Amino acid sequence: MAAQSSLGVTRSEADRLRPGGRLAALARRPEVGAFVVMVVVIVSIAVASNGQAFNALGLKNNLSIIAQFGIIAIGAALLMIAREYDLSIGSMIGFAGMSMAMMLKWGLPFGLGPATPASAFFLTLAMTLAIGWLIGTIVVRSGLSSFIVTLSFLFFLRGLTEVCFRAINGSTQISGLPDFKETSAFAYLFGGEAFGWFYDLWFLSGGNVNRAGAQWVTGFDARLAWWFVVALLAWLVLSRTQVGNWIYATGDNREAARANGVPVDKVRIGLFMVSALCATIFAACQVFETNTADAAKGNLKELEAIAIAVVGGTLMTGGYGSILGVVFGAVTFGLVANAVFFIPAIDGSYYRVFVGVVLLAAVFLNERVRKRITGGL
Amino acid sequence: MAEPLIRIEGLVRRFGPFTALDGVDIDIYRGEIHALLGDNGAGKSTLIKILSGVHPPSAGRILIEGREVHFRSPRDATAAGIGTVYQDLALNPLMSVTRNFFLGREIYRGPPAFGLLDMKTMDAITREEMRKIGIDIADPSQAVGTLSGGQRQTLAIARAIYFGAKVLILDEPTSALGQKQQMEVLKTIMRVRRRGDVAIVLITHNEVHAKLVADRFTFLALGQVIGRGTRAELEHEDIRDLMAGGRPIGDLARELAAA
Repeated sequence: MAAQSSLGVTRSEADRLRPGGRLAALARRPEVGAFVVMVVVIVSIAVASNGQAFNALGLKNNLSIIAQFGIIAIGAALLMIAREYDLSIGSMIGFAGMSMAMMLKWGLPFGLGPATPASAFFLTLAMTLAIGWLIGTIVVRSGLSSFIVTLSFLFFLRGLTEVCFRAINGSTQISGLPDFKETSAFAYLFGGEAFGWFYDLWFLSGGNVNRAGAQWVTGFDARLAWWFVVALLAWLVLSRTQVGNWIYATGDNREAARANGVPVDKVRIGLFMVSALCATIFAACQVFETNTADAAKGNLKELEAIAIAVVGGTLMTGGYGSILGVVFGAVTFGLVANAVFFIPAIDGSYYRVFVGVVLLAAVFLNERVRKRITGGL
Repeated sequence: MAEPLIRIEGLVRRFGPFTALDGVDIDIYRGEIHALLGDNGAGKSTLIKILSGVHPPSAGRILIEGREVHFRSPRDATAAGIGTVYQDLALNPLMSVTRNFFLGREIYRGPPAFGLLDMKTMDAITREEMRKIGIDIADPSQAVGTLSGGQRQTLAIARAIYFGAKVLILDEPTSALGQKQQMEVLKTIMRVRRRGDVAIVLITHNEVHAKLVADRFTFLALGQVIGRGTRAELEHEDIRDLMAGGRPIGDLARELAAA
């Protein structure tokens, strides 16, 4: 559309969209808000704790919580980008932990003999993936909102976990399992340590020393590595593959996606299974690290996962979001949840106050982003 | 006269007791713009839904290049070279121009579904195809939501042509657009016509737009063809009379005065 302006310069419609500088392009990215909040939180906690939150042990403990949040938040964010929710994540964690610990204590079901960490994990994974598939299939076939379908699984799975615990184990806790990570490489993969070289280097360069003068911390929790793997794979799939394109399209304009031949139902079912996989990894890290299980594990984690996804810039209405933003969101939430250990003067419940405030702010910010993109100029 | 690209013969479509189309014959030729005009309820939408494979006809035949076709799904129609651009355009506003252009037909390396997207090639093709029909998208990674209505229409048309449409069915492409954008879309349609190998079916109830671009006209009313002809044949007819269902516009004026 060319038009002569009064100055005789030919202008076109496209010229009205100001290209802007590199800074403006950066400000348009979905993870900017999450990044800014993360930096503010890191700096304030570092100052308030006199740096203790980021000494050798502080870093390990913080990243342990951050990785826990991060793993399940990525499953929740992928689903949310496809405009679905999974409220069963927390109960799925409890169920998977119970299943693995029970097999390790009482043997495999159907009298298949004693369990190894690998057999307990994979049998549990088969069950959780099947449940994820079932949830997805019910959502897709019934056309019901995933909110209500997964809410029913939140109750169902938690109840089932408690019933199984009492029926087989007599109590809703298992503790004092053998320390499998010492004897099994598979268990070490989930419950052991990772990135030991980082702390070795830190020690060699003069830090990371305990009171006796020896090396203080030997490595991060293995779940940190799992978080990296899950985040990297999710980022790769979402931004660089055909399925990633389909996930965005499924959440953005589902009918348009379907009209263009995108298998939207398979995408949704697959993502419910990914969410179940994330919950199972979370549970395996917990069981093999502590050698315990508890029917209450994972309680409310589904809501924290959704909150992190939203703070990371994922739109509640689907079609938009970034894995990097969710990673920043997990760092923020993990640090604040853990802050009370490094700053004893504050009340731990401020964590939830913070979550409430940040969540609301993020929703407003995301809504502005959505309007800017869909509202045109 | 060359053989028509699509010949529609005696097409009938009933929905229960209701007859939406009642024996419609239409010929559509390559390189021409065929305007399909009619008031609401004339049967335009039913006709394009049959052509694009959404509904099967109750009776009658559709021939493409002389061979009879039976569409069981929209996919069949697309494979046969019928590209339908619906009013909602089937676009994802939050996704980039390129991702929309190739949605469901991405170029990738590696295994299906999880293969890596070749964004560079796809960006280049998208830009080139859009440029061919008149819009230079500076940044194919910008979200479709930032495009104007006319630009979106162009994107949907470019996509249909690139993926092999021999017949382009445009459903009310100029409705819900501002004046400038309507002209933009009409220019796009003329550029597609200039290719010479694509037949365009323009569904509209804006007779001004039809007169501006169309080579051939078919008028529908109450499920039947009430008039047809080329631009030259219809030069002296009042198209508006046919649009109004075959009654002279003067009658309508009297009706309004009496109301």
